[in-house]
Parts: sequence; C-alpha cells; structure tokens
Amino acid sequence: MPSSSPFISLSDVDVSLGQGAGRVHILKKLSLEIEAGDAVGIVGPSGSGKSTLLMVLAGLERSNSGAIRIGDVTISDLDEDALARFRGETIGIVFQSFHLIPNMTALENVAMPLEIAGHKDAMERARDELEQVGLGHRLSHYPGELSGGEQQRVALARAMAPRPSILIADEPTGNLDGKTGDHIASLIFDLQRTRQMTLVLVTHDPSLAERCNKVIRFQNGRVEQHEVAA
Amino acid sequence: MTATTDLDQPATKQRWTAGLPLPVRLAFRELRGGLSGFYVLVACIALGVAAIGGVGSVARAITAGLQQDGQVILGGDLSLSVIHRSFSDDQTTFLSELGATSEVATLRAMARSPEAGRQSLAEVKAIDEAYPLFGTLQLEGADQQSLMQKKGDVWPVAVERELLARLNLKLGDTLFMGQSELTIAAIINREPDRLGGNVGFGPRLLLSHAALEETGLIQPGSLIRYHTRVRFGDALSDTALKAEIDAINAQFPDAGWRIRSRLNAAPGLQANVQRFSQFLTLVGLTALIVGGVGIANAVRAFLERKQPVIATLKSVGATGGFVVRIYLIQIMALASFGIVIGLSIGALVPILAHNLLDGTLPVSELGFYPSTLVVAAIFGYLTALVFALWPLGRAHDVPVSALFRDLTAPLPVRPRLIYLIALAAALLTLTLSAIGLADDQRIAFIFTGGIIAAFLMLRAVAWLIMSIAAHLPRPRQMETRLAVASLHKPGALTPSVILSLGLGLALLVALSLLDFNLRYQLSSSLPEEAPSFFFVDIQNHEIDQFSALVEDTVPTVTLDRVPMLRGRLTSLKGIAARDYNAAPEAAWVLRGDRGITYSETLPDSSSLIEGDWWPENYTGEPLVSFDHELAAELGLTLDDRIEVNVLGRTIGARIANLRRVDWESMGINFVMVFSPNTFAGAPHAFLATASWPDATEADEFRLLQVITSALPTVTSVRVKDALQTVNDLVSKLAIAVRAAASVALVASVLVLGGALAAGHQARIRDAVILKVLGATRWRLLGAYLVEYALLGAVTALFALIAGGVAAWFIISDIMGFPFTFDPTTAVTIALLALILTVSLGLLGTWRSLGHRPAGFLRNL
Repeated sequence: MPSSSPFISLSDVDVSLGQGAGRVHILKKLSLEIEAGDAVGIVGPSGSGKSTLLMVLAGLERSNSGAIRIGDVTISDLDEDALARFRGETIGIVFQSFHLIPNMTALENVAMPLEIAGHKDAMERARDELEQVGLGHRLSHYPGELSGGEQQRVALARAMAPRPSILIADEPTGNLDGKTGDHIASLIFDLQRTRQMTLVLVTHDPSLAERCNKVIRFQNGRVEQHEVAA
Repeated sequence: MTATTDLDQPATKQRWTAGLPLPVRLAFRELRGGLSGFYVLVACIALGVAAIGGVGSVARAITAGLQQDGQVILGGDLSLSVIHRSFSDDQTTFLSELGATSEVATLRAMARSPEAGRQSLAEVKAIDEAYPLFGTLQLEGADQQSLMQKKGDVWPVAVERELLARLNLKLGDTLFMGQSELTIAAIINREPDRLGGNVGFGPRLLLSHAALEETGLIQPGSLIRYHTRVRFGDALSDTALKAEIDAINAQFPDAGWRIRSRLNAAPGLQANVQRFSQFLTLVGLTALIVGGVGIANAVRAFLERKQPVIATLKSVGATGGFVVRIYLIQIMALASFGIVIGLSIGALVPILAHNLLDGTLPVSELGFYPSTLVVAAIFGYLTALVFALWPLGRAHDVPVSALFRDLTAPLPVRPRLIYLIALAAALLTLTLSAIGLADDQRIAFIFTGGIIAAFLMLRAVAWLIMSIAAHLPRPRQMETRLAVASLHKPGALTPSVILSLGLGLALLVALSLLDFNLRYQLSSSLPEEAPSFFFVDIQNHEIDQFSALVEDTVPTVTLDRVPMLRGRLTSLKGIAARDYNAAPEAAWVLRGDRGITYSETLPDSSSLIEGDWWPENYTGEPLVSFDHELAAELGLTLDDRIEVNVLGRTIGARIANLRRVDWESMGINFVMVFSPNTFAGAPHAFLATASWPDATEADEFRLLQVITSALPTVTSVRVKDALQTVNDLVSKLAIAVRAAASVALVASVLVLGGALAAGHQARIRDAVILKVLGATRWRLLGAYLVEYALLGAVTALFALIAGGVAAWFIISDIMGFPFTFDPTTAVTIALLALILTVSLGLLGTWRSLGHRPAGFLRNL
C-alpha cells in the first residue's frame, strides 16, 4: 500500500437508520483517517455513533453517502458478496457478547473463517491460534463449557485466525470482570503489536482507551476530539 | 458434549465429515443441537410420506396380488363366457383340446325358506367336478364331491353363511330354489374365484350343473352366463397365451363370447383399485401440504433462533448464499429423516393390509415397491423445499449489525428474487409431479388446483382477519381487547392456525359432504321415484300370470314390463368392436354384454333427439335407436350400422334415431332399443318393474312372497336391498377415505400444536408482564379463550365454505346429482375446529400462566 495515503479513510460519511418519523441521523458527514498499525480507541457516550462507525468500517452497514476506503479498496463500492469475502480476508471482529456458535467446538469456531476462505490447513492453523491465546487445552470444548474470559479468547483467536490487517473490537471487555478484562485487553494489544495490525476499538473504559496510541472522542455522530497518546 | 484436556484428542482428529464440502460440514456441526424445534417438521413429513407411500404400496400389492393369483381369480388360464345359451358342441370340443376345462354357470335366483317365510336373492353358481382348475374351494360340512351326488330326491348345495342368516336356516336344513328342494350340505368358507365375478347382490349358492338343471331356472332367454375355463397343460408364456386367444377368435369369429385371461383376471377391480388409490394419494398429498405449513413454521422459528449464528458466519466472511446453503442442507437432512420414517411406515402398510384384507382383496404379502416409495419421497422432498424456501431465502439477508447491538433484527419480509424463482420452480415441479404421476390427470389437475386455490384463499382470509382486527375499534373489555390485539400483532398465530387447520378441515368437510350426498342419493332421494322391485327372467308364458298376480296383490302398483335380451356390440360402422377407438367414457358399452330390448313405441323415459321412430308393424331392415350421448362419444350418427351378437347370432341394424334417456329415473332403460322385427322369433324373457311409492316394508315382503311362491323361477330384486348393497360398498370405501382424511387432520393438529408451541415464549412474556400489572390468571385465560375461539370459528367458517363449494362442484358438476348440504356435518366440523383450537391453545397457555414473574423478569 502506498505510504502517502492513510490505510483507512472515511470521507463525508453519512448514515441514517430507520424510516419516517423514526429515522435517526447517526453519522454526520464523518471524515476520518487511520494509519496502518495504529491502535485507535473510539470513545463517547451511548448513541454517539461508535458502534455504527465499526459497522461501517467492517462493511456491515451501508453509508447513505460518502466513501470508505481500506487500503486500495473502496468498500462502499463493493456488493454484499464481495464485502463478505473482503471481510473474511482483511477484517477480524471481536464482539462484546463473543458470538461463538454454540454447536461448534472452540477449534471449529476458530477454524470456521479459514474454512470459509478455503484454507486446507484450517484446523491446524486454528489450533495454533488457540494455543496463542492460551487455550490449547480447550480445543474440543463447546462454548457453553467455557468461562466468559475463555469464550472471549476463542472469539479473539477466531478474529485473528485469517491474519487480518484490521482488528475491530466492540467493547471486548464489556461482559467480563476486571481481571479477566485486563487479561483479554493485554492479549489484544500484544497480538496487535506482534502482527502489526491496525486496531479499532470501541470502549467505555478509559483505561482501555489509554492503551491505544490514538483516541477519537465521538459526540452526536461527529468526531469531537482527536488525541494522540504521548 | 464432552470436555477433555488432551491436546490432540479428539478435536483435531479427522471427523467422518472431514471429506465433505464445507456447507455440508457446517450443516452437520449445526445439527449437533438435536431435533429440538423440529419434531413437528419431521412428524409432518413422515405422516404425509407414510400416507402416500402406504396407499401406493397397498395398491401395488393388490395389483401384484391380482397378477400373481390371476389364474386362481379367473379360475383358469383362460375364461370364455357366453350368455343365455351354453357353448356349442364344436366349441366345447375345441376348448377341451386346449387343456383341462371346467364349466361354470352363474345366475341370480330366489332362494326361499317357506317354513321361515323368508326369501333372498342368491348369486347361484353351478360347478362341475373339475372346478376349480386353480386354487381350492374350502367347504365346511361336506366336500365338493358330495355336492355332485343327489341324496335321495334332493340335491345338496353349499351356501355362504350370509344366506343362512337371511333365511334363518342352518347346516342340514332345506331351502327351495326354482322348482327344487335343496339341502344345505356345506358352508362356503373360501371360493377361490370369487373376486373374478361381478359385484354380488346376494350371497353365494353353489350346486352341481345337474342340480341347476332340475330347478327349472334355465329357460330360453334366462339371464344365465356360462363360463368355460381352460387350464393349459404346459405353463404357457404370456405371448403364447395371447396367440391362443387369437387362434380361438379366428376359429369362432362369431361366437360372441367374452374372453378373459389370467393376465387380466379382474380388470374392473384393478381399474377401481388404481382409481381409488390415486384419490387416496391426492388426499395423502393434501396431508403433506397441510404439514407444509408446519414445515414453514418450524424453519422460520429455527432461523429466527439462528439469527446470531447466521450473523456470526457472515461476520467472518460467509456470503448470504453460503449461509442459505448451510441451512438448506440442514432442513433437507431433517426432511430426509422424516422421509425415512414415513417410507418405513409406508413400506410396512402392505403387510398390515394383507392381514386386514385377507379374503376380501388379494394383497401380495411380501411386497416392497421401491418406485412407489421413490414417488412418496419425491413428494416429501418437494413439499419440504416448497415450504422451506421462503423462510430460508429471508435468512440470506440477516444483518450482521445485530451482533453489535445485541438485538434480534427483523428479517426482510420477502426473500430475494432468486429464492422466489426457486420457490416457483419447486412449486411447479410439485404440481406437475402430482398431475403427471396420476392415472386420471384431469381429476389430479382439479384436485391440485383446488388445493392451491384453498391455500391462497386461506392466506387471504388470514390477512383479512388480521386487517379487520387491526382496524376494529378498541373494545372496552380488557379480555376482548387483548384477544383482538393477539389476532393481528406481529408473530400472531392467525396465519398458522387458519392455514393449517383450515386446509385439513376443508378437506374433511368436502369428503364428509361427498359421502353424505352419495348416501343420500342412494338411500333417500332415488327411491321416491325409483321402482320398488325389478323382476328378471319372467318367461313368455308366465308374463300374463305375473302381471295378474302383481296387480291383484297391489292394485295401486304401476307395472312396467319389457322384453329383455343380452347381447354384445361386435362392430360399429364396419369396424370390429375390439379395434374400435372409443372415447374412454364410452368404452364400457363395448365391454361385455349389454341388456337390449325391442319396442314398437318410444319408451316412456326417453325423448327423440334426431331421426324418426319406426312405424307400427314395421317390417323393413332391422333398425336401432341409440342413446344420443353415447352415440356422440362413440362417434356414431344416424344411418351408421352396428352389429350385436345375441344368442350366438350376429344381427346388424341401422341407427334410425337418437334419443335422450333419463337414466336417473331408475326405470327400465337401454342403450339400444331395436325395431321389433329384429328379434322376431328369438327366445327371450321379460324384465319388469313394479313402482309402488307408498309401499311399506311389509307390503313389499308380501308381494315378494306371492311372486316367489307362485313363480319360483322369476328373480325378484328389491331395490332397497340392492341400494343397501351399494350403500355398504360406499361405507367401506368411506372408511378408507376418512382414514386418509384423518391423516390430513392429524397433520393439521400437529401444525397447530407446533405453532402454539413456537409462540409459547412470547405468551409467557406477555403473561408475566400482564401479571406484574395486576392481571389475574383467570382474566388472562379469558383473553386467550376469546382469541382461540375467534380463530376456531373463523377457520370453521372458511372450511365449511371451501369444503362445501368443493363438494358441491364434484356432486353437481362432475357427478350430476343435486347437492344437499348436511347441517350435521357443518355443526360437527365447527365444533371440531373450536374444540381443537381452544383445547390445544389453552393447554399450552395454562402452563405459561403458571410461570412466576420474578424468574422470567430477571432474564428479560
């Protein structure tokens, strides 16, 4: 990718949801640039548009206007299937509620994106990923047999398995106790650094945001403040 | 689910699914959750497939039984029959040179017990020592040989138990028939060739030819049918058998006999079995389609539960199409499970039928009919596909964004165009399969059209009810307000209940009304205009005595008498009848013997359509008057020539006129009426009817006794008895029809139960919130009661209208009878619908009312 342009670029992105009287203007002419390898924390009050920004970045929500570019790809121009494939190759997502598939083992959950992408060695790579997050001994366990922290680690392994260039995390520690949350946060930042990924993380937790090298404060669908960590 | 800490076991070992394509692997992983939520889907498919597979297998088993036992049913490899007169010596000699032969004579006659003062019509059969050429005659009390020898002055006979019951006699007693006294020496337990004969109007009486000769029943023109059965010495191939038939026909081209072979021992029965099984298959298909609503409900509920999983799959790169493939494979795997269960049951039905129908119909015992089961499986898969595609298609567009908001986002209302096209293709294939695989495609077309129309109408009714409920002013009473709101709220039970129960009930209404109308036609409406008696085989010299007896006994009677002969149409327009290309609905005229008569004047129940009636004392070329509808169907017009074989003679005649015949009058009607000079000098008997509208049963029995005592060779058929025989047959068929219809109703109940179960969680949530707000359980129960009763009432109303219209169409348009609506059916169905909806609904609801609010609120 050319070094002159930012890795992620949003320009004049407008998102409104709902219809008629219930229509809500969520992102308002949002423009934003994120460099490759950055760890960006998105903070702001509920309803300020943080999660919508993540969805727009992941190609899960369509903008009403504006352009979203990741690397050389303008994702706002892609159709649904092309977006799905792009997501599978480029973006890993960690959710607050883990969203593991209950009828699949930890290994199968992690292998799933690799299998969808057509990797023959999906199981082997999935096992490596689980070992990386310290769950090499929990491969054949179903999500219901794992603790919240373990489930989030499986979810992290699943997000990392296809070696994405962007990791999107939506309140990744929101459903965990403080100690477990810290552990998960450390894992995320360690992996981001070692794999030189771009991390975009939405959080309400100031201590988590402080671990990012950039923090963007959202208010009413607009960037209120842009901070660069020392 | 098992937990292990072993690094390499078992998660990383190759599972059996490892070599399968990814969507299949993922589908199987997803199926680890078990059948929960799919019991109704599996049961609905299993039920429909079992019904179709079972009916088809039994029909095939009967057909196979008829073919396997062809020789036994026919009584030989070949059976030749003539009417009125026996075979000539030439013919007998020729046939006896072909192989072993047996002679049988059949007729209807009156059996009497003067002591008991009773008489009954009997189906008489005279046999020789060679009878039966195949199979075994099972007698109780005496053996067949003893029937051939006179005991003193009296011949022994064997009878069916029913004749003993009718005459109040027992083994060893004496009965009278014609001019003979006969001893009941044996009871018939099994008559091997019983199925090869026509529908019997009385119980069987077996005797020797010599015994029959002495009864005096054999008179010129008597309706006696003689049969010669041939058993070939060496096992003859089917081709050789056909060659023998051709050789026989070539040898005696004008014999006028009817030849049947073991290859087609009971053609009428076989055709009826096929027709009836086709009808039952369509009813089974209806059950499957009713169950389809359950399939759609189950798939929709399942995919709504799976929304987070679908969104997760899409979040890691799965496309919408890929997700649909995974779940389509799952649904089809579950459908396969139901189909396997259904096919297993269907395959076992012939064994059950073999035991149930033993002695009534020949059901092949060890029949396994893969092609029939394949058809049932195809119907099962197509139905599953038709009903699953809509909800599956909607899964394509499950939004991933719900994962961020922890919400269950509503699915799009309509699937993408590609799924709609696939759905239309599957529906078309299902419809074309139902029509294409049927024997009578016209009936199948009407039936499937009716089902589709009913389905669309039910959907429209559901929409209408929801729309009306949504626009009604809010009732002041809380229970009613809640009930009305429940009818139209999102996820309301209204479409499911109306669709599933409505279709099953409409089918039940249609079949019940058909049954009612057929019985009503047979037992109530016709006798008012129909005669009380038919008298057959009244000889020329007896006709005046007969008339005097009837008129003396019943001065108010209307007696109608006509000369009666039997003959076969052998050629039309110079083309042999067997080569004549007749329309299917008229083909029966060319099969077997037809009653024919001659008349100086136009018969009472006829009106001339075309041509002129012949003048009195006409002496020109033989003329014939033909029924105009049959003439049109046979392609006959005025001045065409036909030939009939009567008493072994071929007689030609020109069609002088066409007339409309009022067949429903149940008077004496004939397809062909000849000019009197055609049969000048031919021996014949008379047929008479006695119409006696205000007759009581005692009056009728008195006349019967007078006639049978004074003229014992005259056969009397009491119309009420004949109708009762037909009514009994209709009753037996109705049992099978109702059994098939009840399968559809069971499917309805399953779907209803499934729909109620699917709404259970929402009911608990509503109940809990209302209880928190102070509603008592009884008030909530009242609201649910009103809701279910409204749904049941609307469904019953639709079922009555749709089923009634269908029955009216079939009765008045296809069968041509006046239609009568039966209020009992209406009330029964309405009650059934109300009981089903209210009881099933409240059963599920009562449990939800028992939930304590706290436990549920914590999870809200």
